[in-house]
Amino acid sequence: MKGLSSLERIILECLGKQNLAYEEIQIQTGLHENVCFNVLQALVIRGLVTTDGIRYKITESLSPLMLEEINGHDAKEAESLEMIEAVLEQRSGRVFRFQKIAMDSRDEKIFLAMLSNLESFLNDAHKKSHNTVPMKERKVVFWGMGEVKNLMNQIVMGN
Amino acid sequence: MTLQQKTLQRYRLLFPNQPLREVSACTGIQITRVFRLFNGKVMKVGELEAFERAINAKLSENPSYAKLTNIVEDASSLLTNEELSKLAEYIARKVSAKSFSRGYLKSTYESAIIA
Repeated sequence: MKGLSSLERIILECLGKQNLAYEEIQIQTGLHENVCFNVLQALVIRGLVTTDGIRYKITESLSPLMLEEINGHDAKEAESLEMIEAVLEQRSGRVFRFQKIAMDSRDEKIFLAMLSNLESFLNDAHKKSHNTVPMKERKVVFWGMGEVKNLMNQIVMGN
Repeated sequence: MTLQQKTLQRYRLLFPNQPLREVSACTGIQITRVFRLFNGKVMKVGELEAFERAINAKLSENPSYAKLTNIVEDASSLLTNEELSKLAEYIARKVSAKSFSRGYLKSTYESAIIA
């Protein structure tokens, strides 16, 4: 498997620059005990996380090759798909809209400006609360847009 | 991991709580021999085949498995290398996520031996 699974990245993001004990990681990520332990062990085996037996931290000197594997385009794309699929399959409290919209060029410009505002709002919200809201309570947000003709061609051509 | 270990692991994933006497009945291998195999004795080809037969019989009970193998055959002849790579990556991620939620194989061996 290329890159990281969503579970592995959640734990790495939770660790950040901190040095955390297993219980703290488990509480902050909200992962089931067994799953959290297995993912941590996998990260230790891959050399992405180091431990003194009690506390865990991200390995300080990751090779550029390793960083490329974690943050490469293909890996990120596969990971995004994993998260989007999970949102689609949510059984309760699902928020998802998918529509084909007829939009003239003026409305498209307005829409893009609104997306830009939305992004600023989300960045500010994150900056304000990232120290107080634990990883498990954060929200996954995504958006995108494409032209039907181009997307259909892409589906047929497969690239 | 050797072919024998892989086969036993797959068997245990499909039959997690099966006691040794049922493994014996399922594979046609004597119970004492099954115990030894699970504890690392080297398998004979016939024994490996018996485990593989039991695994395939179990998998064929699931209609989605047959659907998957059929579509994989079609995909391998129709899709480009890049598309196949994406599919393989997608399946690998599903398998990886599932494997994180499973207990260690050792404990399932132990539960089978106790049973």
